[in-house]
Amino acid sequence: MAGPCYLGIDIGSLTVKAVLLDVDRRVLARSVLPAGYGGQEAAASVVAQTLAQARLSMADVAYSVVTGYGRVRFNAADEEVSEISCDARAVSHLYPSARTVIDIGGQDSKVIRVDASGRVVDFAMNDKCAAGTGRFLEVMAAALGVPVATLGDLALMSEHPVEISSTCTVFAESEVISHIARGAAREDVAAGVHRAIAARVLGLTARVGLEPQVVLVGGVALNKGVATALQQCGQAITVPEDPQVMGALGAALFAVHNGGR
Amino acid sequence: MGIRYRKLRTAGELQRLMRAHYLEGQYLRFGRPVAWVTSGAPVEILRAMGILAVYPENYGALCGARRCAVPLCRQSEAAGYSPDLCSYARTSLGAVFDPRQAPMGGLPRPNLLLACNNICGTVIKWYEAIGEHYGVPLFVFDAPFIHDEVQPHALDYVEQQLRELVHFVETATHRRLRWQRLEEVVRLSNDTVSLWGEIRTLCQARPPPLNVPDLFVNMAPIVVLRGTRSAVHFYKHLRDEVAQRVREGVGAVPEERHRLLWDNIPLWHRLYRFYNDFAQHGACFVVDTYTGAWSQAVPAGDVLGGLAFAYATVMLNRSLQYRVEEMVKLVLEYNVDGFVMHNNRSCKPYSLGQYAIKRQVAARTGVPGLVIEADMCDTRSFALEAVNTRVEAFVEMLAAR
Repeated sequence: MAGPCYLGIDIGSLTVKAVLLDVDRRVLARSVLPAGYGGQEAAASVVAQTLAQARLSMADVAYSVVTGYGRVRFNAADEEVSEISCDARAVSHLYPSARTVIDIGGQDSKVIRVDASGRVVDFAMNDKCAAGTGRFLEVMAAALGVPVATLGDLALMSEHPVEISSTCTVFAESEVISHIARGAAREDVAAGVHRAIAARVLGLTARVGLEPQVVLVGGVALNKGVATALQQCGQAITVPEDPQVMGALGAALFAVHNGGR
Repeated sequence: MGIRYRKLRTAGELQRLMRAHYLEGQYLRFGRPVAWVTSGAPVEILRAMGILAVYPENYGALCGARRCAVPLCRQSEAAGYSPDLCSYARTSLGAVFDPRQAPMGGLPRPNLLLACNNICGTVIKWYEAIGEHYGVPLFVFDAPFIHDEVQPHALDYVEQQLRELVHFVETATHRRLRWQRLEEVVRLSNDTVSLWGEIRTLCQARPPPLNVPDLFVNMAPIVVLRGTRSAVHFYKHLRDEVAQRVREGVGAVPEERHRLLWDNIPLWHRLYRFYNDFAQHGACFVVDTYTGAWSQAVPAGDVLGGLAFAYATVMLNRSLQYRVEEMVKLVLEYNVDGFVMHNNRSCKPYSLGQYAIKRQVAARTGVPGLVIEADMCDTRSFALEAVNTRVEAFVEMLAAR
């Protein structure tokens, strides 16, 4: 293996992600693991796993950048950068014409406006509340008795989505349970849940403005139901091939840039 | 983390001044009546009549800074007051209901109350509750909202209430207003206010001599001791010290990379820690919208007409457009690179409309803004991690410009 490599790590609330790049910013390896308690041990494992995939060791890493909620306590990286800058960097790298990034993660959702040179111009994040996040979907999937991975496909089968009006996750769960008790079809409740998330995220989007191209990233982007529900804003929504690791990719891109200085 | 705060020489004087203010109300009344007053009320009239004025809002800020507001808020909530109510109101009512839990045993028992709604509508019900609890009279001073320009009939209406206020206080306390004394108090008020304005203007310098927590800590006398000689003395000393910093090129933070503007009441419960997180990144708040609310003088001429104008036209009583213009002016005058708005769960009139203001100010000045969600006193409405992420991303965004 010739040349140094660059590592980006994203320690989120539900999962940890790592991306390894070469100096030409080609992806050498990527991995995702559940965060577990605090994410620190999982972060060490995800780094080891990613390096092993590329048959490299820590000694080959020229520079590393960590992002995500666990970044402050993770000391093994050379630098910390916020998720917002990382998302913007990764999305502008893959989609130079992107102007709006929507990131729906485990415990927060963010909308980021970027300019033509990929710089963050403005951003908004969800208030102190988990509605409109991955955690919301997990709670609702549990209430519906389906795995969270299938919730999106279930929602796409709905013909008569129910209305979930509460923005509070706990109250929305009670609403879901009472819909189920009244005999609503599972797919209709699932669709209602996705609509509720989309409404919440689009409200956030309105704060910074929605300019095309719109790119949806974060673990929740894996769920087709959310992207579909978001299209109700009238904009096409682009979902990258590997949306969950965008933060880690952005961190790795910062590592190439800042480590090469 | 290194020490990010350069202490002012006048800090000891400020502490003595404020301690004396609270002791005076508790122990040194000498038969003088005590009035509980809102921050935007025409206190000069009370002062001229020898009435001791104390400020539940200042007391709330003090409890917030000492991080003992939450148990007092819980007292109010247990009594049935909504957690959505202003945390100053909940803190103050909690201290009234259970003084044993309150710093200094709460404020001294009032003889009368004066609430002016130029800052919010909450004060009316809040003061009614206090009045009911103590069985003391309340004067509600009504300042009509100003949609664009202040109207002559509104000023007449406010001036008429000043006359009624004089009558109300005379009836309640059997003291008479000496008009000459009122003019003297207004002069002292204006001296205080103009010194405060000077101090704020000195912060246009590079490096900035003060960071906004300095303004927040040092604003206490302009609120609670406006119109007194001791306040004028204190602000002369502070002005001299700040002017000296400017002359000698001494900055409030070690390294000034980003000059920022602050909007709304601070997070009293983590005042220095919060702004230190910015100072770590070389960001200094050189100006704010809040402490500027006390830099407006009473116009010369007829004293009641002047007071009517001053108290009818405070910032929170005016349109969003006015607030946009004021912020644009501050961005340009203080040459700031960004602004941070505290969406303060407690203060609805200040916080509603911030997103609209942010959009307009950013569009007109090309300077980015950040909104953070928190509360001035109630730590239960504050999520540290969520705020840190926003702050860090905002500073990265400024650095990349």
